[in-house]
Amino acid sequence: MVCLRIERGIGQAGGGGMAESDEQLLDRYGAGDDQAFEELVRRHQKIMYNLAHRMLENHADAADLAQRTFVQAFLHHQSFKRESSFRTWLYQIGINLCRNAIRDRAYRAQEDIHEMELAGPQDTFAEVAGAELKDQMRRMIQILPPRQKEALVLRVYHDHAFQEIGAIMRCSEGAAKANYHHAVDNLRRALAPSEDGP
Amino acid sequence: MTCYEIKDVTVPYLELDLDPSRIREVTAHLDGCAGCRAEMEAVRQVLVRVKGRAVPDPGEEFWKDFPDGVRRELAREQALTPGEAVPMSLPPLSASPAPQRMLWWPMALAATLLLVTSVWSLTSLIAHWSAPLQPPTAMLNSPATTTEPDLPQLDDVEWQRFWDEDPDLALVDMAAGLDQQAVDRLFEDM
Repeated sequence: MVCLRIERGIGQAGGGGMAESDEQLLDRYGAGDDQAFEELVRRHQKIMYNLAHRMLENHADAADLAQRTFVQAFLHHQSFKRESSFRTWLYQIGINLCRNAIRDRAYRAQEDIHEMELAGPQDTFAEVAGAELKDQMRRMIQILPPRQKEALVLRVYHDHAFQEIGAIMRCSEGAAKANYHHAVDNLRRALAPSEDGP
Repeated sequence: MTCYEIKDVTVPYLELDLDPSRIREVTAHLDGCAGCRAEMEAVRQVLVRVKGRAVPDPGEEFWKDFPDGVRRELAREQALTPGEAVPMSLPPLSASPAPQRMLWWPMALAATLLLVTSVWSLTSLIAHWSAPLQPPTAMLNSPATTTEPDLPQLDDVEWQRFWDEDPDLALVDMAAGLDQQAVDRLFEDM
């Protein structure tokens, strides 16, 4: 299986020699330069798709969400205050869209369960860890609380510093750390429920 | 350090997100505590497993078409919300980057020159119109001209008739009668 490699740093000013920074490209886009639009999308498309795939766990949703992230960014590019980097701003948009998608998905799932009159939701770490699932880890990450999952994905898969995670999640650096630590701790407990069980 | 304290710093310890002195304390505790060592190893295994999960690459075609997909969706959104104006009409590729920026200064220069020329012309015209109109006889009989012996001494009646018939020809005729010296003097007086 060919796996997606995230190349970090290519969007940073000075990171690629004479390459233009994201902010310079955004200025050019604002002046009507389509090449700048193309370059910005190509520069960040894999990162945004990867983020969406980590959060939503399927290709179709990830492709749609990554696309919508860029659409929202370009549609509202004039509201980008430049208090953070363009990439952080893009992450913020992506994370917000992921939250909405996960919330909608949970809502739909609840409706489905209600309609099918299914009982006993499998949403505790102990149950998931105990079940014989093909991809146990994937499922456990899926059922992490949203904020913990965001912190985990941004830290583990996107190598962000906690300060940047805080900026993306719009919380303090300490809160970002706490969410990440809780996520790892929850996964740890889920892997060994008997150790922490009664 | 106690086992309880170690639990709080397990992840930061594995991430090396602790002060060096704190890391040394944790390491010292782990050396002497099998339980905490096992816990630390379990958390490390979790991180290894989490990091080991890969996202399948959707392929080159997907990445190649991705910007066009964004472009189409953006155009659709812009059509739905015209208030959110983005200065680029996206579907066609524009080859020339920002022509407006390239041309503004020559246009400004041309506009300034035009304005200066217009003001100068208008001022001249106003001055010309506001000056008292002197008939040719008055001009010729003015002190400045009468003192000039080499200017043509035309009879008033004859000149007036000539002027009335064809003013342009009268002027040409008068100018033809002047020698170069007289012309130079006239221009100096002007």
